[in-house]
Amino acid sequence: MAGAAAPFALFAAAQAAPAWPVKTVAARAAEALPDHPWTAVLYMALAFAGLGALVAVLGMGLIYLERKIAARFQCRLGPMRVGPHGIFQTVADTFKLLFKEDIVPARADKTLHLLAPFLALSSTALMLGVIPYSPILQISDVNIGVLYIAAVSGLGVMGILLGGWSSYNKWSLIGAMRGAAQIISYEVSATLALLVVVMFAGTLSLSGIVASQAEGWWIWRAPVVGGIAFLIYLTASTAEINRTPFDIPEGESELTAGFHTEYSGLRFAFFFLAEFINMFVAAALTATLFLGGWMPFHIGGANAFNAVMDLVPPGVWFLGKTAFVVFVIMWFRWTFPRLRVDQLMRLEWKLLLPIGFANLALGALAVLYDLYFFPGA
Amino acid sequence: MMHDAALTVLFYVLGAGAILCALAVVNARRLLRAALALMFVLLASAGLYLLLGAEFLAGIQVLVYVGGIVILIVFAVMLTSAADLLEDHPSPGRMLAGAVASISFLVFAGGVFARLELAAPAPGARPPADASAIGRRLLDFGSEGYVLPFELLSLLLLAAVIGGIAVARKTPPRDQPFTSGGDAPGEVDIVLPRSQRDEPEEPRA
Repeated sequence: MAGAAAPFALFAAAQAAPAWPVKTVAARAAEALPDHPWTAVLYMALAFAGLGALVAVLGMGLIYLERKIAARFQCRLGPMRVGPHGIFQTVADTFKLLFKEDIVPARADKTLHLLAPFLALSSTALMLGVIPYSPILQISDVNIGVLYIAAVSGLGVMGILLGGWSSYNKWSLIGAMRGAAQIISYEVSATLALLVVVMFAGTLSLSGIVASQAEGWWIWRAPVVGGIAFLIYLTASTAEINRTPFDIPEGESELTAGFHTEYSGLRFAFFFLAEFINMFVAAALTATLFLGGWMPFHIGGANAFNAVMDLVPPGVWFLGKTAFVVFVIMWFRWTFPRLRVDQLMRLEWKLLLPIGFANLALGALAVLYDLYFFPGA
Repeated sequence: MMHDAALTVLFYVLGAGAILCALAVVNARRLLRAALALMFVLLASAGLYLLLGAEFLAGIQVLVYVGGIVILIVFAVMLTSAADLLEDHPSPGRMLAGAVASISFLVFAGGVFARLELAAPAPGARPPADASAIGRRLLDFGSEGYVLPFELLSLLLLAAVIGGIAVARKTPPRDQPFTSGGDAPGEVDIVLPRSQRDEPEEPRA
C-alpha cells in the first residue's frame, strides 16, 4: 500500500480556495475546547448520540425498504399489517429480536463468539463518522479519509472470520472462509477504483474529494476513466458487503445462513444491522467519490444553471444520490443470479483486477495531460 | 493544559494495552486467540502513531497489518486443523527450538538497538501530516529519497507472489473430484459417471 500512496501524492495540486466552507463537529469541538471545555464535550456527546441514532434508524429503515422493494419486484405487497403500509413491521421485528434467547453453542469459543458481532458493527459505525453528509454535517474530516475507510473496513472481516470460527459449526466456518476470501479479493479492485478518484482530486480527505467536484462529478468529468472506475467500485463494493449476486458467504441454499448460523437474539441483530449499514456506507461512499457527494449538479462555467441547482440544499443532494445507489444495489439482488465460488474469484482476479490496473494507468495519463473536463478548476 | 494531560493519559493507556496484549499473544493457549491479541497490539501501536501525529502511518499500519497480515494468520490457522490444538505440553525438541529462536532474536535486537543512535525529536515536533510529502520522498531519486529500496521491495513481493502461485498450483489426478484443476473452469472438476468417461473400462472379474 505504501507504493500505491506515491502516485497521487506526486500530482497533489494545490486546490482552489473552497467555495463551500466545511465545518465538522470535531472542528467545532476543538474550537470550543480552550474556552468552554464542556461545550466541546457536549459536541462529542452529540456526535456519538447522533451516530447511535443513525445506526438504529438506518437499520430499521433499510430493512423495511428492502422488503418493500423486493416485494414490488415480485408483484407482491410486502409487509402491510403492522401500521399503515406495514411501516412498524421492522420495529416489531426489532423488539422480537431483543427479547429472544441468546444462545451460545456448547462447544463454541464463548469470548470470541460474544466479541465477533461487536467487531463487525463497530467497524461499520467507525466508517459512518467520516462520511460528509453535508458541509455542516460531518463528524470528523480525517485528512487520510480514503485510507481510513480502507483500513477500518478491514476490521469488519475479522468480525465475520471470528464469528464463523467460534461457532464450532462447519457451515459457519465455510461461510466465514468464503466471506473473508471474497472481501479480501474485492478490496483490491475497490481500492484501485478509489485511487483513480484520489488521483484526480489530489487529496485523500473525503471533504476535499467532494470539494474537487464543484465543476462536475468525477463520473463524467473524467471521461470514460471515471465511468469505468465507478462501475468497478460499485461491483467490488457490492461484493465487499456480501450482497446478492455475491452472497455466497450466506448462501442459504447450501450453508443454512453462513457465518451467522449459530447466532440468535441481539447478537444476530448486530450482524444483520452491520450488513445493512454497510450497504448504506457503500452507497454513501460511491455517491461521495463519483457522484459529487453533497455537491449539487454543477457544470463548470454554466453559472446560471449552477445557481438553480444550488437552490436544493446539499444534504438533500447527498441523501438523494445515496438513496439512488442503495436502490440500485437492491435492484441487483432481483436481477443477477448468484455467482458460484470459482466464478466469483475468476470475475475478480481475471476481469476486474486487470481492468482496474489499466484504468488506473489511463487515469494517471489523464491527470498528467489534463485530459478531463474543466482542468483548471 | 488539560489537552496535554489527556494525551499523556491516552499514551499510557495505549502503551499498557499494547504490552498486555503482547503478553497475551505469547501466553494464549489457543492459536486463534493469540492472533486476535496480535490484532489489538497492532491497533494500539497505530493509536500511538496517531498520538505522534503520523496519521498516514497509522492508517497504513491498520490497513496492512490488521487488514492483511492478521487476517492472513487467522486464515492460515483456520485452514489447518491446529486451531483446536492446545500447546500445553510441547515436545522437548520444540521447547529447545523455541528457546534458541527467542534468545537469538533477543541478542540480535539488543545488538541493533545498542548500535543505533535514535535522535529524539524536539518536544512538540510533528512529522508532515499530509501524504504528499511521504509520496515525494518515496519516489525521490536523490540522497533523501527511497525509490531504490521501494522498487527492490516491490520486486521481492513480486517474486513472493509468483512463488506462491507456483506452490499452490497443481494439476490434480483425473479421478479426484474435489481439487480444483489449477485455473481451469469449474465445470471440468465435475466427475462424470464411469459410463460416460472416455477411459478404458476396468476389466471385469
